[in-house]
Amino acid sequence: MSKSRDYILLYINGKKTKIKDDLAFKSLSDFLRYEKQMVGTKIVCSEGDCGSCTVVHGKLENDKLNYKIVNSCIKYMYQLDGTHIITVEGLKLNGCLNPIQESMVKNHGAQCGFCTPGFVVAMTAMFEDKNKLTQKDLKDGLNGNLCRCTGYESIIKSGMDVDASKLTYFDQMYEPQQIIDDLKEIKQIPIFIETSEKKFFSPVDLKSACEFKALNQGLTIISGGTDIGVQINKGMRDPNTIMSTSAIDSLKEISVKDEYLVIGARVTLSQIEAFASELYPAFYDILKWFGSPQIRNSGTLVGNIANGSPIADTTPFLFVMNAQVELSGINGVRQVNINDFYKGYKSLDLNNDEIISKISIPLLKDNQKLKLYKVSKRKDMDISTLTAAFLMDENQGKIESIKIAFGGVGPTVIRLKKTEEFLNGKYLTEENILQAGQIARDEITPISDVRGSKDFRLKLSENIMKKFYFECLEEEQVICQ
Amino acid sequence: MSIIGKNIPHDSAIGHVTGESVFIDDMPFAKNELIVDFVGSPYAHGELISVDTSEAEKIEGIIGLYTYKDLDGINKFGPIIQDEHLLVEHTATFMGEPIVVIAGETRQAIAKAKKAIKIVMKELEPVFTIDEAIKREQYIGVPRFIIRGDVQSVFKTSEHILEGTFINGGQEQFYLESQASIAYPGEDNTLVIHSSTQHPSEIVQVAASILGLQQNQVICITKRMGGGFGGKESQACHFAVMAGLVALKTKRPARAVLNKDTDMMVTGKRHPFQNNYKVAFDKNGMITALKVDLFSNGGAAADLSTSILERAMLHSDSAYYLPNVEINGRVCKTNLPPNTAFRGFGGPQGTLNTENIIEEIAHYLKKDAYEIRRINCYGVNDRNITPYGQIIHNNVLPEIFDELIYSSDYTERLEAVKEFNSVSKTHLKGISLSPVKFGISFTTKFLNQGSALVNIYLDGTVQVSTGGTEMGQGLNTKIRQIVADEFSIDYETVRIMATSTEKNNNTSPTAASSGTDINGSAAVVACQAIRDRLSEFAAQYFSSFENGITKAKEHIVFKDNYIFDNRLPDNKIAFKDFVVLAYRERVSLGERGFYQTPGVDFNRDTGKGNPFLYFTNGAAVSEVLIDKFTGELKVLRSDILIDIGESINVGIDRGQVIGGFIQGMGWVTGEELKYNEKGYLLSHSPTTYKIPNITDVPDIFNVNFFKNDTNIVNVKKSKAVGEPPLLLGISVWTAVKHALSCVSSGKRINLSVPATNEEIIMAIDQFEEIPIKIKVLEY
Ligand SMILES: Cc1cc2nc3c(=O)[nH]c(=O)nc-3n(C[C@H](O)[C@H](O)[C@H](O)COP(=O)(O)OP(=O)(O)OC[C@H]3O[C@@H](n4cnc5c(N)ncnc54)[C@H](O)[C@@H]3O)c2cc1C
Ligand code: FES
Ligand code: FES
Repeated sequence: MSKSRDYILLYINGKKTKIKDDLAFKSLSDFLRYEKQMVGTKIVCSEGDCGSCTVVHGKLENDKLNYKIVNSCIKYMYQLDGTHIITVEGLKLNGCLNPIQESMVKNHGAQCGFCTPGFVVAMTAMFEDKNKLTQKDLKDGLNGNLCRCTGYESIIKSGMDVDASKLTYFDQMYEPQQIIDDLKEIKQIPIFIETSEKKFFSPVDLKSACEFKALNQGLTIISGGTDIGVQINKGMRDPNTIMSTSAIDSLKEISVKDEYLVIGARVTLSQIEAFASELYPAFYDILKWFGSPQIRNSGTLVGNIANGSPIADTTPFLFVMNAQVELSGINGVRQVNINDFYKGYKSLDLNNDEIISKISIPLLKDNQKLKLYKVSKRKDMDISTLTAAFLMDENQGKIESIKIAFGGVGPTVIRLKKTEEFLNGKYLTEENILQAGQIARDEITPISDVRGSKDFRLKLSENIMKKFYFECLEEEQVICQ
Repeated sequence: MSIIGKNIPHDSAIGHVTGESVFIDDMPFAKNELIVDFVGSPYAHGELISVDTSEAEKIEGIIGLYTYKDLDGINKFGPIIQDEHLLVEHTATFMGEPIVVIAGETRQAIAKAKKAIKIVMKELEPVFTIDEAIKREQYIGVPRFIIRGDVQSVFKTSEHILEGTFINGGQEQFYLESQASIAYPGEDNTLVIHSSTQHPSEIVQVAASILGLQQNQVICITKRMGGGFGGKESQACHFAVMAGLVALKTKRPARAVLNKDTDMMVTGKRHPFQNNYKVAFDKNGMITALKVDLFSNGGAAADLSTSILERAMLHSDSAYYLPNVEINGRVCKTNLPPNTAFRGFGGPQGTLNTENIIEEIAHYLKKDAYEIRRINCYGVNDRNITPYGQIIHNNVLPEIFDELIYSSDYTERLEAVKEFNSVSKTHLKGISLSPVKFGISFTTKFLNQGSALVNIYLDGTVQVSTGGTEMGQGLNTKIRQIVADEFSIDYETVRIMATSTEKNNNTSPTAASSGTDINGSAAVVACQAIRDRLSEFAAQYFSSFENGITKAKEHIVFKDNYIFDNRLPDNKIAFKDFVVLAYRERVSLGERGFYQTPGVDFNRDTGKGNPFLYFTNGAAVSEVLIDKFTGELKVLRSDILIDIGESINVGIDRGQVIGGFIQGMGWVTGEELKYNEKGYLLSHSPTTYKIPNITDVPDIFNVNFFKNDTNIVNVKKSKAVGEPPLLLGISVWTAVKHALSCVSSGKRINLSVPATNEEIIMAIDQFEEIPIKIKVLEY
């Protein structure tokens, strides 16, 4: 490693802050609350699920600060180099309430007040993009925040009742140029921080990343940290050596190339949304149910597949699409079909020096029908009980070929090969689907857990086949009419 | 203009939206402050063989490790029956039951200590279910009953009888701020404990008794809670006392703040119930006799379970007149953490059980369930006596039913729902009305008392402190309004102080929806006493021989920040100036008010009496959409009509109604407590325990107040609003049951609470006819 620095540089509410040593290994929420006594940011769950700890995360993108909300409880200080963090303490305008705060006061948006800072931060950030919010906007934008007191109605009302004439953008509140200049200056310098117990490395190129990984067995790569942050907080993991991919620019690309959508390892789920809505509407719908805005603003597609969970929401889609996983190592890159990437529960086809650099997803063809399902206890912000993906080539009611992948029914996401075989070449009829449902049931090996019993999952696997069928049928009817 | 009835923001709203409101864990750490934690039982039921803390003691930063042997007082407590230990002595009775209290300087040290403490236990067989407890006759308290008429003879002759069992699950309070306390040691073994509690006085009493202090050595202060919902009525105590123990032993401030996972795993919840019922009715669905046997799962200790069961029994009439009725109740003792208060306090369970019966009757008679509800509804002049003998005065339920059915277009929508269900292959709809008749007052007579301290300062500003605690419900805002109204001064001149046992002693918990009723009434008593003295002095002051104004107290008026004699209104003096004059005349400007709710009494041995001062009434109509294949449930629309008398603050009350409804909806739909076979709670955080999300709020949501100015028995003619609206959420569940009844081809529907997607799919599965016979598979 040539030139590197031993500190994290970030801004907090417009104030330049340098972090070194042990402090770099603290969570942002702990840092704010216990190092800075900025206690407006509240902690409830420490696992990204309640939004009470929501802060605004300004990231340098194309020489601009792009402000998005994130959960401070699962963000660690070492992830925050080159960012501007705005907390609830930084939202007032010249010492007075901002119009969002005013509206929340007037409309009884707060009762006990514990969730309130999180809501206020999230809502204020929503007004960066729009100056009028509808009920739907607010439901989409605030589903990463829980409130037990209000029943939310007054919060929705507050959001709809904000006085737009008083809105002030973050760039108006915090003069961006100085911040941008400062952050740009250090951006290209890798970071290396070492304490008596821990090491953190943030390379700026892929090669150094692979080399470092090869040298440090058992190292933890951190992308958005939405899985890792939770695992650390809940004592499931205590990584000694951590490598962030956040400063590697080549991993940040998303583009359509040669009949593929190519997604770099650092592309967040939020960034994929715009592409998905055009290219794979069904996947777009699934992304909408993925975690919360806070989670999607941090979490990456690559993180989702690398975490290897059988209930990862994006995997069944990638399975039926035959997505290609690009692995970069010291000696170059190789491509693996995602269907061959998982070797067992959370076990990946990944060598010691390799990191995932890209995912390439074939574009949909005209005659292909893609349908994706996520079944969970609560529609929003919930981990799946069962996921399913169907990709069908159909010709006048006949199934030319079908690919089906289920998640949550075994140690990995699986393709239902027998079911596919049975359906290939058959007509799409209720009878065939019911039979296919029986076959599907026999192909899976679900277990009972907190999200559902084995019987429920078996039943669901049949039901999902039916749901698929009826939805196809309904679409046909709409077309016929 | 009076401030009563105004929609003014919550007392702490500005602090809340700026993050400046201070909660327990927001208080700055003192330099020498200690963190308090504990190690609990690894078994739901186990015999403690040995505890070895010697390794943990050596860890740097560990300052103290305490077992029950270190308690200088009595290691036994409980709000009703004293059957709980702060720290396990010989037998642990639920998983996580505290055994060793740890005091450390850092979280890291504590984490190490937790691993180093060696606890040896012998695992004993646990009991988790009501069935198992009944089999073993493991109960808490005595059997209770409420009986009227003779159900057996009706059952013998009745043409229509239904029997069944109904189960409801528990519910986690899920206050966002977990249990939190800080204890500061003082001179002479005194303690000041700041706690997020609904019951500061209980903390004083229990801390004194367990730590071997006198009650006058402990002060408990509660500024606010980040939500309580009953979960901090009796169960804030344990952690406050642990903090107190450490502060006392080390003479250092001590902070006990639970994380969400631990909080959910070791504290009690809403009681699960399993009830057997038998109901007789005529062909119109009029109930002629009802027998219910309620069994609640009380967990490992009594806590408030017997009172909660009592309220469940008292609400087993829901909104219906039951000529012959027998309600039996028992609390089962199991190896779960002691279940405790949660908004509604048994009322929701009792009501829900009966609402299920109504749905069953409707389904059996192939009638609309609303028809059954309407004909059984309590009458205004007759059929208005409850099973326990209390007459329902000013019964507005029939009016509420009629008005809501009309305003929600129930009849047309019911037809549309049936039509939808007959054609849709993928979805189901259901619609249902459910009522609320919630009895207000503690059913334990002595708790129906409140106190308030009102002090006026020489610039005319006022401080008021009551025994009530603020948990978001807006009590403080209402008290401020009441006090401002009593003196007719600006709302801004009144400040509400943190609740402190130093200001008001022997307070009742802020519970039973009674916060404003008893504490607001006490504030009125205090204000009136001061006003009386001021009037006395004013009469003297304004009397004037020349103007022919004799000294007459009854002519003194407090109005819009002024005081005057109404015979000479121009000669007025500002309140703030007048109090200075009064002070100089040595008139006392402070008062402690005391209030006892009149006329309430209930004999739990006979099951008869007048437990309630009045009832808060209401109803909700909800319409749901169900995905037949995934069980996904969406509430499409809810209409609420609720009678809360004359509201003191409509904005706050609306918030209570909607918050309660959504919480109730969560209980009956998505909130599911799942344990493994060892009694370990699997759903112990929001990742796995799903409270309603903002997207679950019905897109169409109409909330209205029913006009009612007859409630003269309560402060400012208002009615309590805290708990009752939770029961409105039951309409969502009855709507689900209705939806399923549309496609069950007459079969009975087995649906418990909560109606999760799994519960719904498995219910559909039971009566689903497979439309096509599966042929021999071809592969
Ligand atoms: C509140 C909450 C809600 C969630 N909801 C959902 C949901 O609805 N659906 C769902 O599927 N998931 C959900 N998740 C899980 C998580 O958000 C996703 O898995 C996310 O995509 C992870 O991305 P990340 O960038 O944050 O990964 P990280 O946490 O940074 O990393 C995840 C794993 O990937 C590895 N990794 C990261 N980058 C690379 C790389 N380039 N090469 C090799 N390995 C790498 C890491 O070492 C780690 O093991 C949720 C999580 C939370 C906290
Ligand atoms: S504390 Fe719950 S999301 Fe961070
Ligand atoms: S106001 Fe209490 S949790 Fe939202």
